[in-house]
Amino acid sequence: MLRYTIQRVIYMILTLIVIATATFFLMKLLPGSPFRNQEKLTPEQIQMLNKTYNLDKPVVEQYFAYMGKVAKGDFGVSFQFKNRSVTKLISTRIGPSAQLGLQAIILGTIIGITLGIAAALRHNSWIDYGATMIAVAGVSIPSFVFAGLLQYFLSVKWQLFPVIATNSENQLTFIGLALPTIALSVFVTSTTARYMRTEMLEVMGSDYIVLAKAKGISYFNIVFKHGIRNALIPVITVIGPMAVNIMTGSLVIERIFGIPGLGDQFVNSIYTNDYPTIMGTTIFYSFLLISIILIVDLLYGVIDPRIRVAGGNK
Amino acid sequence: MENRKISPEMFRVVGATASDAEKISRPSLTFWHDAWIRLKKNKGAIVGLIITIILILLAIFAPMLSPYKYSDQDLRHANLPPKVPGLEKISWLPFTGYSAEKVDTRGIKTPARDMYVTENMRTGEKTEYKKYHYFGTDDLGRDLWTRVWTGARVSLSIAVIAAIIDFLIGVTYGGISGFFGGKIDIILQRIVEVIYGIPYLIVVILFRIAFEKAGIVTLALAMTVTGWIGMSRLVRGQILKLKNQEFVMAAQTLGASNMSIIFKHLIPNTLGPIIISIMFTIPAAIFAEAFLSFIGLGISPPLASLGSLVNDGIKSLTFTPYKLVFPATVISVMILSFNLIADGLRDALDPKMRK
Repeated sequence: MLRYTIQRVIYMILTLIVIATATFFLMKLLPGSPFRNQEKLTPEQIQMLNKTYNLDKPVVEQYFAYMGKVAKGDFGVSFQFKNRSVTKLISTRIGPSAQLGLQAIILGTIIGITLGIAAALRHNSWIDYGATMIAVAGVSIPSFVFAGLLQYFLSVKWQLFPVIATNSENQLTFIGLALPTIALSVFVTSTTARYMRTEMLEVMGSDYIVLAKAKGISYFNIVFKHGIRNALIPVITVIGPMAVNIMTGSLVIERIFGIPGLGDQFVNSIYTNDYPTIMGTTIFYSFLLISIILIVDLLYGVIDPRIRVAGGNK
Repeated sequence: MENRKISPEMFRVVGATASDAEKISRPSLTFWHDAWIRLKKNKGAIVGLIITIILILLAIFAPMLSPYKYSDQDLRHANLPPKVPGLEKISWLPFTGYSAEKVDTRGIKTPARDMYVTENMRTGEKTEYKKYHYFGTDDLGRDLWTRVWTGARVSLSIAVIAAIIDFLIGVTYGGISGFFGGKIDIILQRIVEVIYGIPYLIVVILFRIAFEKAGIVTLALAMTVTGWIGMSRLVRGQILKLKNQEFVMAAQTLGASNMSIIFKHLIPNTLGPIIISIMFTIPAAIFAEAFLSFIGLGISPPLASLGSLVNDGIKSLTFTPYKLVFPATVISVMILSFNLIADGLRDALDPKMRK
């Protein structure tokens, strides 16, 4: 177990180095300049700017300087926002994104698990077919399409919800976050429902449930104490893909509903060629996702003793 | 007691011979025929298949048959609502060519009017625009019916090209890694493990940023940078399972080369899982492309993809909702039907599901 953990952590670090390197060199290939109105600047001014941001040194030197800083968690200074470090930018933007993401995960898991259990307990009934259809549709409809339709029908047409998630003081409101949360949770709902249904069907057909029935334990106790508890364990594995989806979903949904989160920031930095922010956010996102997947894999081995992680899949 | 004695006369030959017992009374089914029979029983998969075929036909022929080109601009007829011959008389369908009735924040009503009729302010003379735009027109007066199906064509092409490249790289890499094993396998798998951790869409975004302008091929390439990893792992696993079986040994004894064993004997035997994987890659690529278009990294205008059309639609949601609804429906239905086929194929081709 310890060996496996160390091995995984080493791979994680290698992966991050690959990402950081790829990001750095791809940014160097980028067309366009980070300095706005470059035509109006004199060559001397451009030179000065290049010098301030270390853009006049050889690429290899820039690379090692950058990697050294990244290792310390310093992603440099944003080109777009004067004198603000990327690390600071990320940390101020992460709050709304985390709130939205957590809300979506909580809402989605609750609905998804309920749907999955209902579908499994009423196998081959209309509840089952309905839940399966919802699950397939939920994975298929891109979250931004769903968000757009929700916004049109509920906010614009029937005016039940605000179009923008923030109020006049630029604060997030609960009611404003409702639609983005729903839109973001669709994928979570469908994947958990799907997994929960399969697992629950398998558990309910297993020998220990038959034994529990034979012992005369009440249906309620069988379902809750024996069934759901065991069926829940493998559902942990969907947390990985879920985190990826929440992250990519947030990039577009924050834009649609005007939420000042990290996703919105990232898309903005792409539009404005803000290299340090693009690089910093990319590495940050990668770090986040890789850690989540690592933790989930390790947790899974701890929670379910039937799973042996010895040596991985070799 | 006596009549219980068994004598040879009590038996007669009913005609069963050794060769009859071996006779195959039902037609023998190949694996693929068998899979097709199982797929046909899956209603969802068949519905998905039919819808996909219709969508592909529309994507190929609708732009060809349309009187407009996807890039034709006509600023006099911009932002026209949808109008379809035959359906235009049915007032509750959104194909009348009328704008929606609007109430603004002060409660002032703007009644619905026929957007295809323009009134000259001075003379009061009305001129009617006689053409039909099935899905309406966008803010530059481009026909959305043509643009949506051109977009569907672009999205499908990107997805199919990406799936083919994934398939080619993945099968070769996984095949070589699994078949040769040993040091080659260790090295190749170390590389895979490092790349496998990279979040897919982040890489796609990065590589897409590196290209100044994006066409169909560049977008497909950006999607395959790490997209082939899944396929290579799948193929490697299957090859590891198969390579010690007798038919491989027989081929080796007969002097077949390693490459011909991999590509002629092993890969065809793993086709089932490979096809399933390709079928899941296509909707994922359609989704990825739409996502890129949405954050402004998609196909360069004037060419459109479903994602960029959805993006344009959301921008002007309040006034012209039809710009969002049509491309959004097409892309959702497209991904949905591909997923349904893939689900059905998985059930049909996976031997573990046989009962």
